[in-house]
Amino acid sequence: MARIGIKNLVKEFGSFTAVKGINLEINDGEFLIMVGPSGCGKTTTLNMISGLVMPSSGEISIGENDVTHTEPGERGLGMVFQDLALFPHMSVFENIAFGLRVKNTSEQEVKDRVQQAAEAMHIEQLLSKRPGQCSGGEAQRVALARTIVTNPSVYLMDEPLSSLDAKLRIDMRTELKGLHERLSGTFVYVTHDQAEAMTMADRIVVMNGGEIEQLGGPLDIYRKPATRFVAGFFGMPTMNFLDGEIAAVDGAPMFVTDGIKAPLEGDLPANLSGRKATLGVRSEHVLATEAENGGKVSLIEPLGDATLVYFDYGGPTRLVSKVDPDRLFAPGDDLTFAFDANNCHLFDADNGARLN
Amino acid sequence: MSNAHSKTQAATPAGQKDRRRDHMPLVRHAILIGWALIIMFPIFWMLQTSFKDSGEWVTWPPNWLPQDPTLKNYQQIFTFDVSGSGVAREATDQPFSIWGSLRDSLIICTLSSLIALFMGTFLAYSISRFNVGGKKFRHMVLLVRMIPPIVIAIPLLMYYAVLIPFATEAVFGARISLFDTRIGMSILYLTVTLPFVIWMMLSFVDEVPYTLEHAARIMGAGRMYTLRKVVLPLVASGMVVTFLFVFILNWAEFLLALTLTHPDVSTLPVLLNKFQSASEGRLYGPQAAIGTVITIPVVILGIAIQKHLVKGFSFGMLRR
Ligand SMILES: Nc1ncnc2c1ncn2[C@@H]1O[C@H](COP(=O)(O)OP(=O)(O)OP(=O)(O)O)[C@@H](O)[C@H]1O
Ligand SMILES: [Mg+2]
Repeated sequence: MARIGIKNLVKEFGSFTAVKGINLEINDGEFLIMVGPSGCGKTTTLNMISGLVMPSSGEISIGENDVTHTEPGERGLGMVFQDLALFPHMSVFENIAFGLRVKNTSEQEVKDRVQQAAEAMHIEQLLSKRPGQCSGGEAQRVALARTIVTNPSVYLMDEPLSSLDAKLRIDMRTELKGLHERLSGTFVYVTHDQAEAMTMADRIVVMNGGEIEQLGGPLDIYRKPATRFVAGFFGMPTMNFLDGEIAAVDGAPMFVTDGIKAPLEGDLPANLSGRKATLGVRSEHVLATEAENGGKVSLIEPLGDATLVYFDYGGPTRLVSKVDPDRLFAPGDDLTFAFDANNCHLFDADNGARLN
Repeated sequence: MSNAHSKTQAATPAGQKDRRRDHMPLVRHAILIGWALIIMFPIFWMLQTSFKDSGEWVTWPPNWLPQDPTLKNYQQIFTFDVSGSGVAREATDQPFSIWGSLRDSLIICTLSSLIALFMGTFLAYSISRFNVGGKKFRHMVLLVRMIPPIVIAIPLLMYYAVLIPFATEAVFGARISLFDTRIGMSILYLTVTLPFVIWMMLSFVDEVPYTLEHAARIMGAGRMYTLRKVVLPLVASGMVVTFLFVFILNWAEFLLALTLTHPDVSTLPVLLNKFQSASEGRLYGPQAAIGTVITIPVVILGIAIQKHLVKGFSFGMLRR
């Protein structure tokens, strides 16, 4: 059992509070991804779980045990670091064997288990090399092999893929997901790449400024972002945001700004009328159809399976719509557009909290 | 940083250097050879003087090579049995050979350098990792070295020859004197060179990324295990370089040794200075022979650890 419980976790560095009282329950065998912008406290939180950083206050438990004051080496964890932290003066074999040797494992068992781990990561041919002689992807596998060899029940990973090039990074995502299924351990994974989080996670924790903004499944977070920050963080291209006001036209709620009127659907709280708000719409929910709102195309980005059309609508920002690649637009063209009323996100203009 | 990336980065400056080298090999080599000659000349002069007999030491115009090469100088310093060979030259008042000094120097320098290396490495580690002594301490480590040795020589003599013997006699009833002892000189050299060791080892220890230590710690390794298996192997080359540096400092130290020893202990530089006589002045021949003998162990040491020298001086060795 490797359920991880985090209660009121706080970390202060001098007068600066990096983590401001986090509560989190991580389920046994879960692939949990912490994501957020640089400096939001992801690494600090992860290092408190690992024991490398002592919390200023709060509690951490792994399984049934309170480990808040337990040495890192006694928490039953494996960790993959951002810079991999392979020992440059040891062979790949010795790197993988390190955790076993610390525990005085017999030589035969060390051999067998290193061999198994190497096979699992497909790096048998590297065992006699030095880490410096491995490619980035190979070194990544060595780091993973070194982690799995001790059979930890919890795997902590701090941006392990950030040193790889784009293609390899995407391949490794699939591999990590497969590894998670095979190992049946609890994965806590830190990244600032929202796409990485979306593709791999069972659940995502979105952090910002030392606090949790939202916790949920990838699709929940994508479809129902709890704050404006989360909405803007997930999805490529970034969600369109318009500042305006909620009005009731003929009894139906409507979002109004700079000559744009967007009808709103779903159950809205009753008292919203007249309130300042930010409307968020993803590019795929900006429909370039016959409608009463008009704009002028300024930029086209063909993606292959879709085309991004950036256009001015008369407001301070530019909007982007994702259209079928067969529809041909050119800069300067006029277009009319509407928002998919079922997929409009409303956020409080002041604190960014979700309104609908 | 991805591997491919670092390779391309490394390729460009190297390529540029190659091109520059193609342009002016002559100038470059002329300058280097000229400089090498300037550096090597005193060594050459010492070497050839060591094979000259007294008549040739200070001739004018100088003899660039010994006219009549002789081993008398070496004979004199190694045996001081000069009766048969006819090299009856007095050195100060007493006859002495180099053996005693060689032993004194070797024991004092090896002992003090090794202990300084050991202590300094661990001190550097604690300063690097735990900011022992405060954040500014690393910049003040060398401060002690700013004092000219001549300033502390006499106060030290007071301690070694008077205060410590007096105090130990008063407290323990047994007189312990550090003056004119190998242990006294070793302690002194240890104290004097420790700042250098700390300062040099700091730059090597700082180079070891502490995620390596974190990784080891998570895998259950204790602090000492991590030091032994991870940190020390990674700074080993640095330790070798530091040892050599400090050993040479001690090996060539003159002033403090001159002040704090006599007559029992005598290091090589002090011995060298003793080779002068009332009638003939400085005995340049034997002095050059001693100089040569002093230089040889250092050169051998340097060659033996050449591999480490290259590694140790190329900071940034840990980048993948
Ligand atoms: N040892 C420390 N001393 C002082 N401040 C620190 C320390 N470690 C982290 N911080 C601060 O705490 C904040 C959170 O740091 P943390 O490393 O957790 O960020 P992060 O979310 O992992 O960011 P990134 O995506 O850049 O890795 C940062 O503002 C950082 O400057
Ligand atoms: Mg981080």
